[in-house]
Amino acid sequence: MKNFEYARANNPADAVRLVGDRPGATFIAGGTDLLNLMKDGAQTHDRIVDVNGLALTDISHGNGFLRVGALARMADVGAHRAVREKFPVVSQALLASASPQVRNMASIGGNLLQRTRCGYFRDTGSACNKRIPGSGCPAIDGENRGHAVLGVSDHCIAAHPSDLAVSLIAVDAVVLTNGPHGERRIPFGDFHLAPGDTPERENVLTHGELIVGLELPLTPAAAKSQYLKLRDRATFEFAVVSVAAALDLRGRTVNDVRLAFGGIATKPWRSTDAEAVLRGRALDTATIDAAGRAAVHGAIPRAHNAFKIDLVQRALSRVLHELGGVR
Amino acid sequence: MSKSAPVRTPTDLTSSVAGGIGASPQRPDGNLKVRGEFAYASDLWHEDMIWGATLRSPHPYARIRSIDITEALKVPGVYAVLTHSDVPGKNLYGLEHPDQPVLAVDVVRYQGEPVALVGADHPETARRAMERIAVDYEVLEPVVDMEDAAHGRGTPLHPGGNLVRHVPIRHGDQQVTAEVVVTGEYEVGMQDQAFLGPESGLAVPGEDGGIDLYVATQWLHVDQKQVAQALGLPLDKVRLTLSGVGGAFGGREDLSMQVHASLLALHTGKPVKMVYNRLESFYGHVHRHPAKLYYEHGADRDGRLVYVKCRIYLDGGAYASSTPAVVANAATLGVGPYDVPNATVDCWGVYTNNPPCGAMRGFGAVQAGFAYESQMDKLAAAVGLDPVEVRIRNAMHEGSLMPTGQVVDSAAPVAELLRRVKDKPLPPVNRTEPVDIREMPGGASNTTHGEGVVRGIGYAVGIKNVCFSEGYDDFSTARVRVQVIGGELSALAHTAACEVGQGLVTIMQQIVRTELGVERVTIAPMDTTIGNGGSTSASRQTYVTGGAVRSACQTVRGRLFELAARKLGVDAVGLSLHGGKLVSDLHGVLADLVDVLGDDVVDETVEWRHRATESLDPVTGQGNAHVQYGFAAHRAVVDVDVELGLVKVVELDCAQDVGKALNPEAVLGQIQGGSAQGLGLAVMEEIQTSGGKIRNPSFTDYLIPTVLDMPPMSIDVLELADPHAPYGIRGVGEPPTISSTPAIVAAIRAATGLALTRAPVRPEHITGT
Amino acid sequence: MPDNSETPKQQHKRRTVLKAGGAAAIAGIAAAHSVTEASAATQAQDAALAADTEASAVPIVLTVNGQARQLRVEPRVTLLDALRERLDLTGTKKGCDRGECGACTVLVDGRRIKSCLTLAVMRQDCAITTVEGLAKGDDLHPVQAAFIRHDAFQCGGCTSGQIMSAVAVIDEGHTGSTDEIREWMSGNICRCAAYPNIVAAVQDAAKEKRP
Repeated sequence: MKNFEYARANNPADAVRLVGDRPGATFIAGGTDLLNLMKDGAQTHDRIVDVNGLALTDISHGNGFLRVGALARMADVGAHRAVREKFPVVSQALLASASPQVRNMASIGGNLLQRTRCGYFRDTGSACNKRIPGSGCPAIDGENRGHAVLGVSDHCIAAHPSDLAVSLIAVDAVVLTNGPHGERRIPFGDFHLAPGDTPERENVLTHGELIVGLELPLTPAAAKSQYLKLRDRATFEFAVVSVAAALDLRGRTVNDVRLAFGGIATKPWRSTDAEAVLRGRALDTATIDAAGRAAVHGAIPRAHNAFKIDLVQRALSRVLHELGGVR
Repeated sequence: MSKSAPVRTPTDLTSSVAGGIGASPQRPDGNLKVRGEFAYASDLWHEDMIWGATLRSPHPYARIRSIDITEALKVPGVYAVLTHSDVPGKNLYGLEHPDQPVLAVDVVRYQGEPVALVGADHPETARRAMERIAVDYEVLEPVVDMEDAAHGRGTPLHPGGNLVRHVPIRHGDQQVTAEVVVTGEYEVGMQDQAFLGPESGLAVPGEDGGIDLYVATQWLHVDQKQVAQALGLPLDKVRLTLSGVGGAFGGREDLSMQVHASLLALHTGKPVKMVYNRLESFYGHVHRHPAKLYYEHGADRDGRLVYVKCRIYLDGGAYASSTPAVVANAATLGVGPYDVPNATVDCWGVYTNNPPCGAMRGFGAVQAGFAYESQMDKLAAAVGLDPVEVRIRNAMHEGSLMPTGQVVDSAAPVAELLRRVKDKPLPPVNRTEPVDIREMPGGASNTTHGEGVVRGIGYAVGIKNVCFSEGYDDFSTARVRVQVIGGELSALAHTAACEVGQGLVTIMQQIVRTELGVERVTIAPMDTTIGNGGSTSASRQTYVTGGAVRSACQTVRGRLFELAARKLGVDAVGLSLHGGKLVSDLHGVLADLVDVLGDDVVDETVEWRHRATESLDPVTGQGNAHVQYGFAAHRAVVDVDVELGLVKVVELDCAQDVGKALNPEAVLGQIQGGSAQGLGLAVMEEIQTSGGKIRNPSFTDYLIPTVLDMPPMSIDVLELADPHAPYGIRGVGEPPTISSTPAIVAAIRAATGLALTRAPVRPEHITGT
Repeated sequence: MPDNSETPKQQHKRRTVLKAGGAAAIAGIAAAHSVTEASAATQAQDAALAADTEASAVPIVLTVNGQARQLRVEPRVTLLDALRERLDLTGTKKGCDRGECGACTVLVDGRRIKSCLTLAVMRQDCAITTVEGLAKGDDLHPVQAAFIRHDAFQCGGCTSGQIMSAVAVIDEGHTGSTDEIREWMSGNICRCAAYPNIVAAVQDAAKEKRP
């Protein structure tokens, strides 16, 4: 790991200034992804600003929403009673992430900035448009079982790795930030960016902008939600595909629904098309299958990841059947 | 001879917990290990030490036009930058064929091949210096297809071409036909040993111009020989001591950092420590050979085998390592533990530009086992028999003939092992409500409460040769000393046989206690001041080093009796030792051994070898090549979520004959460990390569089973003594690794109805998408 | 002994021990690739080299196993490397240095974390417990004793981490069933697969804790 200067921030304004001042600076919270990236040489920084001293760990009730501090740890949020009861999909996504030790360390804010597991991205001996813009994407014609089929571009097909982010986009979370230009509220769906021709840009944060918290709106759908994660090992592993679903049924009719997917897309992937198929319709196997087809519409398979297109529909079907009590 | 001893070198191990053979006493290293005080190779430290680092090739195959180290030498803090021209001795090493350069000369044959070394005051300095070594590569098209390599197609990577070894076996009638024929093509992925403690060691230059090397290895003397040759030193100037070993499983049988650290130490005059990280470890040791296998089984309508024909290809990667032995194992064990009257076996091990492959637990037998057991299930289906029944009908037994013509001359309870696992109660299909999802496919991932889940049961049995084969002079050396220390009778046992976690140190203590009746037994650090202990591989250490320790004890006992006879004026015949007392057949207890010994020390060293084996006939593959066979059978019970492609191994039961369980607890540990590694190969473990490059060199991307993946195991241990082996024992470590994988895959087939011809099985193979 | 600080001389010597192997080994693969295109980057590296000196080390205090230990570390030094290479506490193991194996598990303020994934400078003002801090003299911690009783290891490479996780799992109350133990111990890989015995040891030690 290249050396760097270390600074501790005492308040959000400090933190923003310490990072904003220096192009090569970044924040550190849990550090569970950042340090690996720096050890791998996939990312370098000349200043690390430790934000762990900031009072941003509370989980509290607001008017119609739950507010989660950005520095709350994955373990604590996942186990929090209000999260478990009002946002089961979020709790489940958290508890299905990483290992107990990492969940004790990693922050909620940091998790949203987690970077892809693409082997070419993490290997400095390989070309990678995300790491070195313009150097090429060897994954497109290389080993791409772990890669995305949705939201891809000719420049990058790396899958977004976070489980939490998939669950948050399914509950219409809002990201709260504090940056050089003041405070912002960013709807979750606007937070992450598909690679397009700038795969190095993964979200809309400006340099020095700090995530301070999340707002999770309390909705009937969020309260009846579920996260399904399919992986190559029983635990302690990233998703092959995952589904976050939130469902508000009136009788057999879908009043409201949110569907989001992980492992298959370059960013936490919400499918409003699939939701539209279901909304106002009776939830049955036929509509569920139609929603699955809508969810993967436009997917671009590669040599090793084509199976995900079918698999994610099966996973969606499983979740909706269970959530909706179908069969 | 070294300047001074490093910090955290291994110490004598003494455990006060009694227990002879057949008991399960506490490990003598147990207390140190749970306290974090056991000294592993990565923990070594020396006052003046510097750090060594290895510059490796990024290309699977390339010509080296030039190497320029000028800029690297200018980095402050760098003590040495070495290339092939700095290797004073022979720049080629290898376990069986010396074909691998210590440092690449004009060509690199695999990604990760060592090209240059840096010695520096700090790993970070070494890293910077390596960035400044200019290697000009002409990148070449890699050879990656093992079948092409076997049959002379593609660029030859070595002077003799790409075939490392071909073993043909011709047994019985080569023209015979059968009523029922089943064929299959199978593939086994490249597995990694994935030991938790990466390669590491410390080389200290001696005042005599030699080297003291503290290292985690599986075979001190083969390291010593190879290091000495590379350094151009006589053997006695290369002294090795075993440091704590964080697992091995075959991956430490070849050299890693041994020569490199020694070279740097000799050049700089400073102690040099080298520690690989996980990424480098994936490049720094050999893996399990990936295999392609073509099988044809002919049988009568009752399912009795008439013939087996097979062609087995094993990809040895860039260098030979132990490929020749792996090829021989796959070939000679290629039809499995069955009576096969006619067999045509061909097995090829080849060079490619893939990562080098060599020893891993069950080497050769694992790959063949996956194929022949898959075939036995196919045969069962073809003749309408139960999979266990078809195996029992063909099961080998004592007196059976191997395809090599060798008679199996001790217990071979293949049918009994199968019956045992078959007769075990099955776990209930319908679980109590509510279902604990952690017991379901998908584990903690919330995928199913039973929807889409189908139960499957699979069986497999396997055979493995124990000890080194084909005429190899396989022996071990043991020294046992008895003396009175502080008024207490004490014994010391010293060998060069490597403890890598399997518990050899416990077994050695147990043997000494049993043979000499001495409670207090100390195990000296393993090193090359004593003769060769042979490799900790091929399930051989309890057999061979155990045999040597027993033999040394017997010699010591004879000396004690002579001493007693002289001192007490009795006849040495008819004496025995019990609980520290000298006992005469005629007169009962004669004296305390403490008193007999007084200040005398009895110290004996013996070399002990198992009965000789023969080489294989190069044309017919006939010969008594193996000294002993080990057998294990598994029954796997799986739940498969057939919609989502997820597998949960619900239970993995095993029956194994161990001849005699010297330490029953350790035997169970070996069976559990071997079975789990087989489970890994069945459902998750594979080094993925693309164009010769490893694509998943990390524990996030190369998955090994967690505790949640590990199923409950019911284990039957049979003890049918082998009259040729010390205490009747049969090697334990490898057989469970062989049958575990095919049993699990068979169970998944049973649940899904799919052919599943490749291990590991992944979700997409089950969903068929 | 509250103050266990190193003398300046020791600090200088021990600096060579920073960052055992990890970074260097990676560079082995990475560096070779960049060789032909390295010249442009060389100047930048020179600058980095100049900045990358002992001067960048900062004084910190780590409270480990009840003792305050003063040391100087560069900010990039992980807690794991500080423990192993600076404080001579080599019981905490480095199996992967990426948070993938669990061998480096320690307790920080009573919670288990992976010490390879955090910086030493970030863990000042915390109470750190390593495997060396569990036993009281000759008396093993109940979890250590249970691991011996149940033969819950072979090579021992993962054992320190398993034991630290087990101590935490019991404190967390995640020992209600073997399934629960298995899920919550799954952040610690054991390649020897002593898993059945590890689960038995944790169960046993948990009973002792909750009479």
